[in-house]
Amino acid sequence: MNDVVNSTVRAAGVDIKDLRKSYGSNEVLKGISLTVEPGQVVCLIGPSGSGKSTLLRCVNLLEQPNAGTINVGKFEATDPDVDLNKMRQSVGMVFQHFNLFPHLSVLDNCTISQMKVLKRSKSEAANVARHNLERVGLGHLADRFPDQLSGGQQQRVAIARALSMDPQLMLFDEPTSALDPETVGDVLAVMRKLAQEGMTMLVVTHEMGFAREVADRVVFMDAGVVVEEGPAEHVISAPTQPRTKEFLRRVLDPTHIGVEEA
Amino acid sequence: MAMTARQRAKVSLYVQAGIFVVVLAAVILAVDWKTVGNSVFNFAKIGPMFPDIFLVGLKNTLIYTALAFVVGLSGGLLLALMKLSSFPLYRWLATGYIEFFRGVPALLVFIAFGYGVPLAFGVQWDVNIVVMVSLGMVASAYIAETLRAGLQAVPKGQMEAARSLGMPHWRAMVSIVIPQAFKIVLPPLTNEIILLTKDSSLIYVLGLTASQYELTKFGRDGISSLGAGLTPLLVAGAFYLVITIPLSLLARKFESRSARTKR
Repeated sequence: MNDVVNSTVRAAGVDIKDLRKSYGSNEVLKGISLTVEPGQVVCLIGPSGSGKSTLLRCVNLLEQPNAGTINVGKFEATDPDVDLNKMRQSVGMVFQHFNLFPHLSVLDNCTISQMKVLKRSKSEAANVARHNLERVGLGHLADRFPDQLSGGQQQRVAIARALSMDPQLMLFDEPTSALDPETVGDVLAVMRKLAQEGMTMLVVTHEMGFAREVADRVVFMDAGVVVEEGPAEHVISAPTQPRTKEFLRRVLDPTHIGVEEA
Repeated sequence: MAMTARQRAKVSLYVQAGIFVVVLAAVILAVDWKTVGNSVFNFAKIGPMFPDIFLVGLKNTLIYTALAFVVGLSGGLLLALMKLSSFPLYRWLATGYIEFFRGVPALLVFIAFGYGVPLAFGVQWDVNIVVMVSLGMVASAYIAETLRAGLQAVPKGQMEAARSLGMPHWRAMVSIVIPQAFKIVLPPLTNEIILLTKDSSLIYVLGLTASQYELTKFGRDGISSLGAGLTPLLVAGAFYLVITIPLSLLARKFESRSARTKR
């Protein structure tokens, strides 16, 4: 694993202050503040509708926040004059449903924005893409098309596609929620490796095992506010807030058998 | 007496086939074959139509269709993008244009651009330009709606993924969304070409010189000059099928191919 040792990530941090986001009269984010240090892995957990995906999508301005500030590395994302395209080049995003480009081969998925945005030559882009496909263990599938791959393979290609832009921060929006259970592990392994290499990662996930093992910090959100945050072992293993306890009890014991009988 | 479901289905099929045969027989018996033979299937007298209907008529129909399609496709793409724009003025302009040119008969547009505009501006237009402008403008209204539907059928996540990789909006459109939209609209777009092929016959309202005749004009001229009744129109119609049937087959091929890649 020379790769791991050699690849040094220039990691960027994230600083979110009092972020608010509404859809009409429905306020989804009610003043969120959150800091991710460069090289840190932060997992966002919480029930669906708690606003964690919206928060993540605000970080690279896929959603326009109504108030508050977001700083990503040297960029102030919420500054109306910020060069969004420039900023997004340094922020990789991985979606729940992969969103690979179905009309392009796996390799072209990883090269197109390198060539069109970073203006890399075709051969340089291909080299970077192949390197990153190797990193996610899919170097041998470069010539396939997305619909010829399993869900887990597609998600790893999506990670390689994002990595090919040399991001300083990676956002993961429920990366394993749409996967067959047997392919979840491959994707999580790639993410774990990435975390070990020092990538800053902000991860919305329901994988409590992953959060406990990999996250430096876990943030529990509910109804648009941060309810509890701290080191993974505290938030997941010994939560203090009743709402966190309730959520984790349901997630970790979905049948509620233990709860009903207790 | 009671039949099983399978027997009932079989009987039903026989009844349907029987009705079809009876109707066909009635039509065949009702037709005055002697007159029809003289005035519709009178192939003995159509010799003079060849080879010009092929060399000039078919060629011109193809040229007029192609010209109109090029204008219609580029205009349609522009209108579709305008209609999806976040800038209201563009949306209103596109909607107004589309509603107008879809609602007005193509024949009137031909007359307007063939006679009206040259009169108004004192210009002399080549027939190719009139076809390009009038048929192209009508076609772009129809094609715009087709393309808009195609662009909207590309999942939103595609644009989001492209933007999150740092692509500007226009680049994401050009490299990611539009190529996928075209795959989706290829079958309906082929349909548009077939409609255009037939609408190119409307050019007859303009005074054409012999070298500008297209298929329908050949047919109409043949009616008056050959004494073979309507037979020349039948010949012209057959030539249209020579163009449109391969197009349909092509469309079907595209359709099955995109169905396969979707899986």
